[in-house]
Amino acid sequence: MNKRNRIKFLASVMFILGLTTLNAQIKVSGIVTDEGGVPLPGANVIEQGTTNGTTTDFDGRFALTVNGKTSKLELTYIGYLPQLIAVENNTNFNIVLKEDIASLDEVVVVGYGSVKKSDLTGSVASVDMDDIPARPANSVDGLLQGQVAGVQVTSASDDPGAGAVIRIRGGSSLRGGNDPLVVVDGFPIGTAGDLKQISPQDIASMEVLKDASASAIYGSRGANGVIMITTKKGSRNTTEVTVSQQNTFSSFTSDLNLWRDPALMAELSNESRINGGFVPLYIGSEDANGVYYPSLSELKNNAWPYYTKWDDVVFRDPVSNNTNLAVRSQTDRTQFSLSATYYTNEGVYIEDDYNKLNLNLNVTHKLFEDKVTVGANVIYSKGKQNNNGDLAYWRNPIFPVYEDNDPTKDYFLVGVQDFSHPIALTENRSNETRFLDLISSAYVDVQLLPSLKFKTQLNYKYGRSINEFYNPKIYTLDGTFNNGSGGISNWDSHETVAESFLTFDKLFNEKHKVTAMGGVSYQYYQANTSNLRAFDFLNESLGSGNLASGNPEQQSVSNSLTETVLYSGLGRFNYTYDDKYLVTFTMRADGSSKFGANNQWAYFPSGALGWKLHNEKFIENLNVFDQLKLRASLGISGNQGISPYLINSRYGQDQYYVNGRWQTTIGPGYAVGQDSQTGKFIWGGIPNPDLKWETTRQFNIGADFSFFKRRLNVTLDYYNKYTDDLLRERLISPSSSYDRMWVNDGEIENRGIEITLDGKLINNDDWGVNGTFIFSKNENEVVSLGNALSSGLNTDALTGMQYEFSGSTVEAFRAVPNILAVGQPINVFYGYKVNGIVQSEADGLASGLTGDLAHPGEFKYVDLNEDGVIDEGDRTIIGDPNPDFSASLNLQFRYKKFDASLFFNGTFGQDIFNTKRFSEPNNIPLRWTQDNLTNNYPSLRDGRNLLMSDWFIEKGSFVRLQNLTIGYNLDLPNLFKRGRIFVNGTNLFTITDFEGYDPEIGENGIYWGGYPRLRNWTLGVEFTF
Amino acid sequence: MTKQAFITINELKKMNFRNIILGLTLAIGLASCESLDVEPEGFYSDENFYKSIEDAEASILYAYDALTLVSYAPITFYLTELASDNCIVKPDEGADAQQFVNWEVSSQNDLLLQFYRSAYIAINRANAVIENVEGRGFNEADEKRLLGEALFLRAYNHFNVVKAFGLAPLQRSLIDRLDETTAVLPANMEEVYNFLIEDLTTAIDYLEVNRVAGRADKVAAQALLAKVYLFAASAKESGVPNYNAISESVDNLYAKAAEYSGAVLNNQVEYYHDTNLQNIYDVNAPNGPEHIFILSMDRSGTKEGDYSKLSKYFIPWIGGATVYLRNTDDSFSATHDGWGVFQTTDDLYTSYEVDDKRRNELLVSEVYDENGTSLGTIGDGTVQYPFTRKFIDPEFEGDKTSTRPYLIRYSDIQLVYAEATANNEGLEHYNMIRRRAGVSELSSITDVNQFRNLVVEERQRELAFEGDRLWDLRRKNMVQSQVFQAAGLSPNAVSFYPIPQREIDLNPNIN
Repeated sequence: MNKRNRIKFLASVMFILGLTTLNAQIKVSGIVTDEGGVPLPGANVIEQGTTNGTTTDFDGRFALTVNGKTSKLELTYIGYLPQLIAVENNTNFNIVLKEDIASLDEVVVVGYGSVKKSDLTGSVASVDMDDIPARPANSVDGLLQGQVAGVQVTSASDDPGAGAVIRIRGGSSLRGGNDPLVVVDGFPIGTAGDLKQISPQDIASMEVLKDASASAIYGSRGANGVIMITTKKGSRNTTEVTVSQQNTFSSFTSDLNLWRDPALMAELSNESRINGGFVPLYIGSEDANGVYYPSLSELKNNAWPYYTKWDDVVFRDPVSNNTNLAVRSQTDRTQFSLSATYYTNEGVYIEDDYNKLNLNLNVTHKLFEDKVTVGANVIYSKGKQNNNGDLAYWRNPIFPVYEDNDPTKDYFLVGVQDFSHPIALTENRSNETRFLDLISSAYVDVQLLPSLKFKTQLNYKYGRSINEFYNPKIYTLDGTFNNGSGGISNWDSHETVAESFLTFDKLFNEKHKVTAMGGVSYQYYQANTSNLRAFDFLNESLGSGNLASGNPEQQSVSNSLTETVLYSGLGRFNYTYDDKYLVTFTMRADGSSKFGANNQWAYFPSGALGWKLHNEKFIENLNVFDQLKLRASLGISGNQGISPYLINSRYGQDQYYVNGRWQTTIGPGYAVGQDSQTGKFIWGGIPNPDLKWETTRQFNIGADFSFFKRRLNVTLDYYNKYTDDLLRERLISPSSSYDRMWVNDGEIENRGIEITLDGKLINNDDWGVNGTFIFSKNENEVVSLGNALSSGLNTDALTGMQYEFSGSTVEAFRAVPNILAVGQPINVFYGYKVNGIVQSEADGLASGLTGDLAHPGEFKYVDLNEDGVIDEGDRTIIGDPNPDFSASLNLQFRYKKFDASLFFNGTFGQDIFNTKRFSEPNNIPLRWTQDNLTNNYPSLRDGRNLLMSDWFIEKGSFVRLQNLTIGYNLDLPNLFKRGRIFVNGTNLFTITDFEGYDPEIGENGIYWGGYPRLRNWTLGVEFTF
Repeated sequence: MTKQAFITINELKKMNFRNIILGLTLAIGLASCESLDVEPEGFYSDENFYKSIEDAEASILYAYDALTLVSYAPITFYLTELASDNCIVKPDEGADAQQFVNWEVSSQNDLLLQFYRSAYIAINRANAVIENVEGRGFNEADEKRLLGEALFLRAYNHFNVVKAFGLAPLQRSLIDRLDETTAVLPANMEEVYNFLIEDLTTAIDYLEVNRVAGRADKVAAQALLAKVYLFAASAKESGVPNYNAISESVDNLYAKAAEYSGAVLNNQVEYYHDTNLQNIYDVNAPNGPEHIFILSMDRSGTKEGDYSKLSKYFIPWIGGATVYLRNTDDSFSATHDGWGVFQTTDDLYTSYEVDDKRRNELLVSEVYDENGTSLGTIGDGTVQYPFTRKFIDPEFEGDKTSTRPYLIRYSDIQLVYAEATANNEGLEHYNMIRRRAGVSELSSITDVNQFRNLVVEERQRELAFEGDRLWDLRRKNMVQSQVFQAAGLSPNAVSFYPIPQREIDLNPNIN
């Protein structure tokens, strides 16, 4: 039993066993503060020996009617020493609670247990959700942005339901996934990035397990780090009802970069087509599709009647709503928490809507003189999304929305192949996703002996999502091609995790503290999908509501079933000598059905050492450090992010038309996918009985310092994460009829530094100023991509560097921008170098260019290998999308009842491949012409074969005021216990040199343009009764 | 803490907690001893397939299905038509396609790799049937039919590989383990042809005459064996590299080709010479008398390969619209336009006599709108080149058509017979082809070699765009003389495409 529970326990015991004395009742009141005079809200004030009690309000004040002068006030507050104060003749108390240094340590949740923060030997960061200002978030794990050193959170989209990308200490896998494991109240529920089921209001704290000592207990799922989420439980000794309401108003951070001057657009389009040898479009005649394009003079003389601001048609200023109602209660034996959240989120596109309802019920009850605790937790989440994104805000402004600009007439379509009319799509196409999630767990916790505890927890998770869509016969490509096309996709999954473990905890001879844990775990996962498709609809009015009205001969059905099983044994041993020297060992063995017969069991050991120097006399005597601890750890964790069944031979299935009908065909070899570069099927299905997990070996060394009565805390960490056995596909000789097989081959290294500075600068009655500065630097290197031949690696002609392309072809450049190259960071950019613009034919020839490339106005490509031609041999590494470092600064101010917080976040040194650097209305006019002999932009020329070059690479460094919150705490004790109103702004301003809308983009650093990010203002109120 | 706060052992016993815990722990412990094998339930594998005759039937169809792969059926034309004197490629087609026209095909050529591995995909699927059907207790008739078809397909695809690459691996058994993926090269052409001949003679033995469009029967096996013998005979005779290793004499090989093609022409009544030229290429008549072996694709399919886009490859781009073609009876048939990938050469066009119906009825030079008004001609540039009507589907749905590759036609075997026999019986078949085309007949054979060359010329005209021209040029050692882009290349370079680099890189047994 840890300190916190012990205090609670004592309080409860006294509460129950107390005697009541008859006395004349008197009213007492007072204020409870810490030694620095800071009020302590939520402290328990109980009349000793009675059930009579209260908690302090926000200002640390309390009022209580006691039985008389002989009564004694029992004061308890987590992290402080309890106090007993006799009432006697006082009615007004100024009570100062002393910090309990021993329990000052928060208890930190780690895998299969918890530990005092000061006893940590691994690298674990804890985030108290009370410290994170309330802000709108689709996925709560995204709230970790900027909160923890070494955790990189990127949210590249504001679309409803969009998740975030979370990386702990860099990516260490190429194909096995880099998302950390998420564990909610002891239940490992899956990978991070899209955690929609839990509302931010329901989370008490999040812990991030970073190094191997902390994460290896999760074995083959620990290599990407672990995020432990603890939900809120019942409140202490009282019943509280909390209501909160947040409304978020969003708008673009900048104007859209669209053509506002159609005449200029037309002029430049004509210039581009003429330069490319094409017939110009804007000449006052019909094009090949029979669409009339006005001439330049028609546009310039305002003779053209139409001008549509498509962004006004397509976009809106979205408003989102988040309502939460929570009831939390605790009696001596039972605590209970019920929370309901209703969330609606408007997308920036019209009718692109998302809503969900989350319910979270948590109950614990103590039995048998508190020796047995049973508990259950149920999270239910249900939601719906009307998908109406990707509407064409970029449509040509010279075309009206409706024929003749008359809303009673038909949509104006640009030819029969016009499949991007946003209103036609919005009104005729349907696409809806409904989802339902249940995360539940139940546990029994038994104190077998004073030093021995047993816990068994059963977890069950169910997820379901249904997508229904209908593409009408006109307006959509799919619908036109198939004469109406509709479908329903079902997905559901079940996951059961059963875990039991024993924990032994004992202090021997006052100096030897031993904690040992051992247990077993079983996980079963099953996913089902089914798809119904229909085409060639007789009647469209019901859409996907009646797929049977599609042509019976063209209806199709498909489904799949996936099962995996994971058995594990796990254990941890902690030994502390004299509260100075700490040793931790952990071990986990994982047997997974995903692993091949020759590698079915994986073993993940780790060890760590800690030295609390501040408990050594020679450090104590310095009188500088309140804490000085050194930590070192080494361990192995794994990544089993492979699809199941890669160890089985797998037959393919298709159909062949015989005797006037389609017949099912089945046999060896199946199409595992399509090549991202050629589109051809990739044939797999040959089993690899040696297939196994990726292995990450991580070394971590760190130090924790506290100075000035713990007002300044510093945490430093250095890590080196080396991953081998990377899951990859190898090529197989084509005469075998297979293309690829999954193997373990390849190595990646990540190393980095993390610094956290946490200062409580001012902390008194009226004023409080806290600041946290976080710095993370991660360096990443692809050490090996396996056998060059079987991996099919390319060789860089200039340097001999071996590489492979990563990702898919960017059409405009007919190139894959990112490569994985041995000795380089993941996903560096590969392409040509450009040295300005060719100014004249002579200039071009003098620069070694020939043919078309030497013409004035073309990119002056550099002939790197000096062979007289610009070809693939002239490519080299031209950029790196990985940041050099990232930093964030969190400032919190308090003045009386006001509080404010500012959160700056920045990443530095990453490169961005800006595919829109010469295709947007703001940069096209800057083109090279004979009258504008610029060296910055090429001429406009339709049909130019663009090459992927460093001209399109920009610096992506940015600093953003991510969040600003100003709040006021209401003090109306007659109405409610606590009340707060606040205004919160996110994405308020960004400092960057990047030319596109926003530099916060996906990991591969490719910027696709699109539309600006949203700035959100949230008004919130929260009352607790 | 007082001691009472905790459960004593006695209390524990009373509450049976220990038993519960022990039970739970044991249950989990025991469960852990269970196998980690998860039986696949969402797909078939060697563990749960070939249980019934229906399984075997699905498996043989999977082998046929391989022929429809987008990486196989259309790619065949790049190898055979582009590299011959029949077609050139659209100028902005990728570099790999240009290499075929220009005779610069390297071992890195991706289309070549696609063709190569697709042939082996089909072979492995055939081998799966061969290995899994025997001894499963199916009735003998079914077993023989399935084995016969599988042997036919194994030979058909190996023959494709041999025609394209010469000495390349012979896959005699199913591959389903990594250690089986490093095949060796056959010792020589003798080994290759013995393997083909053995498969096909067994197939002929096992199969009956049984026409099903999209599948092969006894006649198809006889026809293919005749083509195999003819290839060997003419290649050995013409001094094609490696073919000297075949021990059988040229005359005997011709005699065998004559024997098996004769069997096709004389010993069955299911397939016969279709006197109506249009009928042969009617997309709705895959069961016509000509079609000994035709691939099956249908416009009702849901993905390319199930339906065909062959028409798109052969028809030029005509503004992206539906155009109409004038039929011989002056009615009109609709078609989409195409991508103009395979463009008819002047060589081919001028190889026809002016009144050859195969030029006048099967090559299109003018297109019309739905009212029969001319949209334009070759002359005014509307139609880029005279394009073939062999792959037209008037009932096309978007890009989806039922246009099928003609794999073995009766006319093909008539010409095989004519070439193999080079006698008056053969001459009659040669003349039947010319008669149908409306061109003059040959009265008698004056010189065997000269006649055989005439047959090969006739084959170009008759089988144009059907994926056979390069093979004819190769076996007659005529690539250099007929394809100007190949002039000056070595005999090896014109006779065989290089084995794909990926095979060389990954297979230590081949270098």
